[in-house]
Amino acid sequence: MTKSRAAVAAAAVVLLAGFTAACGAGGSTSSSAPAAFDPNACQGGTLTVLNHRGQGNFDPAELYTSGGGKVPTLVFRTLTTRNHTTDGPDSAKVVPDLATDTGEPNQDATVWTYHLKPGVKFEDGTPIRSADVKYGLERSFAPELPGGPPYLRDWLVGGEAYQGPYKGGELASIETPDDSTIVFKLRKPEGDFPFLATATQFAPVPKDKDTGTAYQKHPVSSGPYKVVSNDGGKSIQLDRNPNWSRAVDDQRLACPDRIVVTSGLDQSVINQRLAAGTGDDARAVTTDTNVDASVLAKLNGDAALKKRVVTGYFGETQYLAFNPKVKPFDDARVRQAISYAIDRESVVNAVGGTAVAKPATTFLPDQPAFGYTPYDYFPAGQSGDPAKAKELLAQAGYPNGLTITLDHSTVTGDGSGPEVAAAVQQALGKAGITVKLEGTADDDYQTKYQKPATEPGLFVASWGADWPSGGPFLAPIFDGRQILADGGNYNSAQLNDPQVNAEIDAANKITDPAKAAQAWGRLDAELGKQAYTVPLFHPIYKRLYGTGVKNAYVSQWNGLYDLSRISVK
Amino acid sequence: MSKALTAAQAPGTTPQGGAGPRADRNQVWRRLRADRSAIAALAVVALLVLTAAAAPLVAALEGQDPTTYHNALIDSATGGVPIGPFGGASAVHWLGVEPGTGRDVLARLVYGAQISLSVSLGATVVQIALGVLIGLAAGLGNRLADTVISRSMDLVIAFPSLVFAVALMAVVPSGFPRPLLLMLVIGVLGWGQTARIVRGQVLTLRGLDYVSAARLAGSRRWRVARREILPALAAPVITYGVLQLPLNVAQEAGLSFLGVGVRPPTPSWGQMLSSATNWFQADPAYVLLPAVLLFVTVLAFTVLGEGVRTALDPRAESRLRAGIERRRKKTDAQEVPA
Repeated sequence: MTKSRAAVAAAAVVLLAGFTAACGAGGSTSSSAPAAFDPNACQGGTLTVLNHRGQGNFDPAELYTSGGGKVPTLVFRTLTTRNHTTDGPDSAKVVPDLATDTGEPNQDATVWTYHLKPGVKFEDGTPIRSADVKYGLERSFAPELPGGPPYLRDWLVGGEAYQGPYKGGELASIETPDDSTIVFKLRKPEGDFPFLATATQFAPVPKDKDTGTAYQKHPVSSGPYKVVSNDGGKSIQLDRNPNWSRAVDDQRLACPDRIVVTSGLDQSVINQRLAAGTGDDARAVTTDTNVDASVLAKLNGDAALKKRVVTGYFGETQYLAFNPKVKPFDDARVRQAISYAIDRESVVNAVGGTAVAKPATTFLPDQPAFGYTPYDYFPAGQSGDPAKAKELLAQAGYPNGLTITLDHSTVTGDGSGPEVAAAVQQALGKAGITVKLEGTADDDYQTKYQKPATEPGLFVASWGADWPSGGPFLAPIFDGRQILADGGNYNSAQLNDPQVNAEIDAANKITDPAKAAQAWGRLDAELGKQAYTVPLFHPIYKRLYGTGVKNAYVSQWNGLYDLSRISVK
Repeated sequence: MSKALTAAQAPGTTPQGGAGPRADRNQVWRRLRADRSAIAALAVVALLVLTAAAAPLVAALEGQDPTTYHNALIDSATGGVPIGPFGGASAVHWLGVEPGTGRDVLARLVYGAQISLSVSLGATVVQIALGVLIGLAAGLGNRLADTVISRSMDLVIAFPSLVFAVALMAVVPSGFPRPLLLMLVIGVLGWGQTARIVRGQVLTLRGLDYVSAARLAGSRRWRVARREILPALAAPVITYGVLQLPLNVAQEAGLSFLGVGVRPPTPSWGQMLSSATNWFQADPAYVLLPAVLLFVTVLAFTVLGEGVRTALDPRAESRLRAGIERRRKKTDAQEVPA
């Protein structure tokens, strides 16, 4: 009784606080002291992370991250990691984490050798051995622990058939000649291996602490924080790991004593709470929610608020995908006509305007790390060129226009959702193309277009970077050997061009990222001519943080401030 | 619901079936006219129906259409908020433009009214038709039929219809016309109450002398149903239908709000409200307009429904009043000895 009354009272207080905060937002924010940040005096306090989506199973085998992830990188150290220490172009580079370097390849990049740093320990003080890294990798092959990236299975010798350590014994292509050395044998050259080694699958897991599917409740930490409580990834509390120190980790500062992740919040609520910044929300950030119109509209008049919004770029492209196996998209002129007719201004507005999206004409994201090579073969200008589109349609035998179906997801506020589809529909309408919309609920939508048998002729899709390089951006979409008939297929054009495949192989052999980027850029510029996709926009991350948050700078790897570098003191 | 039932229990006004209602029609209209709130509601409803029917005309009068994007009228840098006060209202766009797209709000509202009104009307017709048929069958059938049908009525009434409607709307292939589908889904999931009322009514009616007389005179069961019982059902069924209509308006808006209603670019109020939830701070006008319109529509139909009920059966109202009076006296009487 008293308990429930207290709860009601607490809820009322929270509501009231939220209300007054919403009304008074803006004026009262004291500007965070711009004094130089001192990493040696930054420790203490609790950082709150307010998120929309949950973390899912917090098992290093099941997480799918880019560069080690946002929250996961606080708990799991991996062989390599993204460069956490800067916001410059170098932040898109790989640096060693548990290993002493980013990996020594053999001549043709099919064998990669790593050595562990001395003195690295788990949260219980046991030293981390190369066998623990091997075991962590082997776990990620277990069918009981799905969800990780597909590359390991594809790249490692014997990976395709390996069923994980519970059923399949050991994986012979990962060798551990001594406690600090680990060797990977790949079945083809992969210059990007150091990038893949940033994934949480490369985090060490002590075999005697492995509890299978229950491991996600309390995974053993190798990083600056250990898991204290974890409610299926919905709310996670992390406390400082006493067996970690900056002496063995030059990437993470780990300023707050405690980090609390709360998810399942409405996106507008997250923005309201961060903008108001009352109580614990002053020391809060979000890793998954962009500012919305209610915040954007205030920015120009509120300099203090504006200071708390950081802008970043994550390599991602939202695009229209064609399936040339479906008529009339087998005709290049129809695909080109649609490329000409597209109204990117309307599409950008549909997802939140120029603050959070940038019109795209290339498939590769417009960052040098991907090998961005500018091109615009079918110039549609700001809002489309319906005249040129009509001309091409007439040539293709549709002088009176045509009717097509556009598939999209039903998730509103999403780049593949009905708003984008409607914007495309009205733009193509101007060129005499009648577009019927076919919305499908999110999970079913993914399943539908990722299976060649059910793949629609035209649909809205997006592709995000597993790491900042052209390889993982182009290969899954255009490599003819990656057409997967049973689902999980991203080669939506079902393109199997020997020349393209050969160029992908050649680029994969290059171990120098700068040279590889050039090769990927060339390939993208070539593929663009075929109009297998209509690039729509690249998203821009615009994230708000609380008034008491310091050292929140943006990484060029994932477009976001780094939780391992933020201070709340 | 109990009100509708009491209304239904007064078939005495039309004892002779066929001739009665015609004679009463003038009287009903006179009573309705005397009810000022009902007349006001009727005017609002008439205006809404007229606007919806003439939606292309209204849009043409404004010089706009519901689907053209106006990117120049919204501020892309601040998320697509309409430029200017009250959602960008101007001499060209009388009620402003939609945030994020710049589509004309007035045009979308009047075209949305078409969907809202036609779907709710169609759904009501389906509900009433099914309800009357099934209620008649239960009331006139044998005991087994009555039991089976009554239990299925309970099932339909107790069913979480919104959840089922969402599922159903999502499953049906996209080729099927959406407004028709909405009508059918709302109608098929909502006939339970009508059927229950009709059944109760039929059970009362079939014991009355004039019905017994018809049966004894040799009329077959369905002839009795058609000639003697159906006419007497008109009053409660019309009343129930008019009161059900606003619920269906809300139901349609709810389904569209959840994203399973009509497909874009067809505008609907529920859809507008759904997208407006993201804009209530940045562009309050955009939330206000469909919300107010929906509120007015539901209110007008409800008030009109009450008016029609009173006009069809004024004695129900006086009975209700008498009941309240009696109860008051009773409590007074109880208080005295205490």
